[in-house]
Amino acid sequence: MSQLLDVRNLSVRFPVGRKGAGWGQVSYLTAVDDISFTVRKGETLAIVGESGSGKTTAALAIAQLVGGETSGRVMLDGQDIMPANRDQLRAMRRRVQVIFQDPYSSLNPRKRAEEIVREPLDNLTDKPAAEKQEIVDRLFEAVGLRPEQKRLFPHQFSGGQRQRIGIARALSTQPDVIICDEPVSALDVAVQAQILNLLRRLQSEFGLTYVFISHDLGVVQHMCDSVAVMYMGKIVEHTDRLSLFNNPLHPYTTALLSAVPSVDPTLRDQSRRILIPGDPPDPLNLPAGCRFVSRCPVAQTRCRELAPELTGNGTDHRTACHLVDANLVSPMQSVREAGL
Amino acid sequence: MEPLLKVENLRIELKTRAGVAPVIDDLSFELGHGESISFVGESGCGKSMTALAIMGLLPEGIGRVASGRILFDGEDLTVVSDRRLRDIRGNEISMIFQEPMTSLNPVYTVGEQIAEVLRAHQNLGQKAAWAMATELLDAVRIPNPGRRINDYPFQMSGGQRQRVMIAIALACKPKILIADEPTTALDVTVQAQIFDLLRDLRRQTGTSIIMITHDMGAVAEMAERMIVMYAGRKAEEGPVADIIAHARHPYTRGLISCVPHIVANLTDAREELTEIPGIVPGLGEFGQDRCLFSARCPQVTDKCRKARPETAIFGGRQASACWHAEEV
Repeated sequence: MSQLLDVRNLSVRFPVGRKGAGWGQVSYLTAVDDISFTVRKGETLAIVGESGSGKTTAALAIAQLVGGETSGRVMLDGQDIMPANRDQLRAMRRRVQVIFQDPYSSLNPRKRAEEIVREPLDNLTDKPAAEKQEIVDRLFEAVGLRPEQKRLFPHQFSGGQRQRIGIARALSTQPDVIICDEPVSALDVAVQAQILNLLRRLQSEFGLTYVFISHDLGVVQHMCDSVAVMYMGKIVEHTDRLSLFNNPLHPYTTALLSAVPSVDPTLRDQSRRILIPGDPPDPLNLPAGCRFVSRCPVAQTRCRELAPELTGNGTDHRTACHLVDANLVSPMQSVREAGL
Repeated sequence: MEPLLKVENLRIELKTRAGVAPVIDDLSFELGHGESISFVGESGCGKSMTALAIMGLLPEGIGRVASGRILFDGEDLTVVSDRRLRDIRGNEISMIFQEPMTSLNPVYTVGEQIAEVLRAHQNLGQKAAWAMATELLDAVRIPNPGRRINDYPFQMSGGQRQRVMIAIALACKPKILIADEPTTALDVTVQAQIFDLLRDLRRQTGTSIIMITHDMGAVAEMAERMIVMYAGRKAEEGPVADIIAHARHPYTRGLISCVPHIVANLTDAREELTEIPGIVPGLGEFGQDRCLFSARCPQVTDKCRKARPETAIFGGRQASACWHAEEV
């Protein structure tokens, strides 16, 4: 299948005032640093990482929803969609929609549910009123809300139902790409399953392409077709679902996966926890070499000096680590064996 | 041996606009010396209320213990004086909260906040309290404690703040540590560090831990026994391994299977997640004489809608409040 979304050399930086900088000098915090990825039509790319890794900024930059300085190219179906003017922005927003994390603050409390779902149609399309109404009715059914709930206000809904409204709103302009920014992390566990199942059902029904941002690796494993792992603004590993979870190569990915608490006692015993000490480095003062070097259990001298490139050595399993070779063996293998 | 903490038929009522609702309805459980138990359930099921009741921190004027007893070392905490309660709180039973960002005072250094506990409860002098605070920061593995002790909370990361909270909670070597969703605001790698720390501290000090969570994975890592709460009632209780291997309550079963868990050897197959339809009932429905889970239960029968289930015991250790526990 063809690549629907092709993001090349995307960077986002924010100007920050900083002590020590002289008059007129601006220093920059680079939240997303030169990342590239592609998503095939009808598939889900998950971007995972800890808070502060830049995953949300990267995804929102695709939809032109960040305030910082963005550079790079975003291609949708071979067309550059980085808009130059208002009309292009409107056209782009029709094709790229977002489902937000917090269903409480992302819905206007003074609008009725149907107005919220209709809003993108009002703003971005010139459809006649009757057609818009028909679309809204269909969407309410598709996301599992009852027709009589159309007249209610957001506060009359539960968290899960509100997220359904948010999903209906994102679907209203029949977008090609939907960016799901932690769509279930604010919901109760039992409600999470309802929303995740709904998202997958809608994906196969409408042929949607998702960019799915999450810090929950269990959810990611369930939802994604391919995964990009981010650390401090860089993609450190990018591959398909099976390769990532069955053969994680980057030390950070390995540690991240081993940190997830598991209900499966056999899994708990065989994958000894690899604790990575400390916290991520200061984003304004990044280390010269690999950004993970301060927490990496297998770091070597060259890791401190030279930043590794994201490369697959001829395969689709791309990793940014000096210690991964063409045989695709994780450098953590020795650590794991020593621990057992 | 007598258990350290024994809760008997506890009923907590909360005043709402619609009337009085029992947020905790006839809850009994025990906690042994050095034991670690977990409360599991969705929000609004009464997990945190149980913790607040043990701490004597129920919202004043709104919540009260209507009946039942909370016996700590033989002393009933529901009737003791406020003064005695203050003595116990922090000294014998202490608590860490979900939000490390908001539970520290932003205008005092972390050192002052740890030393304050030591001065109030252990009558330590200024100097001794400060030295002890440094030791505690070291014990919770904050690097360079001698310097970090002068930091304000905003200068620390989320994980470090939660470590400071743990240092404060453990300052007086409490017999019970209550952790209310201690890691939900943190990243998984930091969560792993905090769990590791709590496990080590427990081994060293023999503190009993009550952990409140909604994450079955965390329960499996941290606790020996778990209590599943639903709508203010105990749905299921038993050893963690037994319950995960064979849950005897449809709600527990749902809680375990509705979450996509990381699996060891991933294949292409992806099944739909098991949904628990609907949501937790509102306070108005609490306390009714029926199974409160019946509206969401896949195995519901008429009996469930008519009477509150009796507790069925399995193997002497696992208890389930379900009419059909045998078949589950």
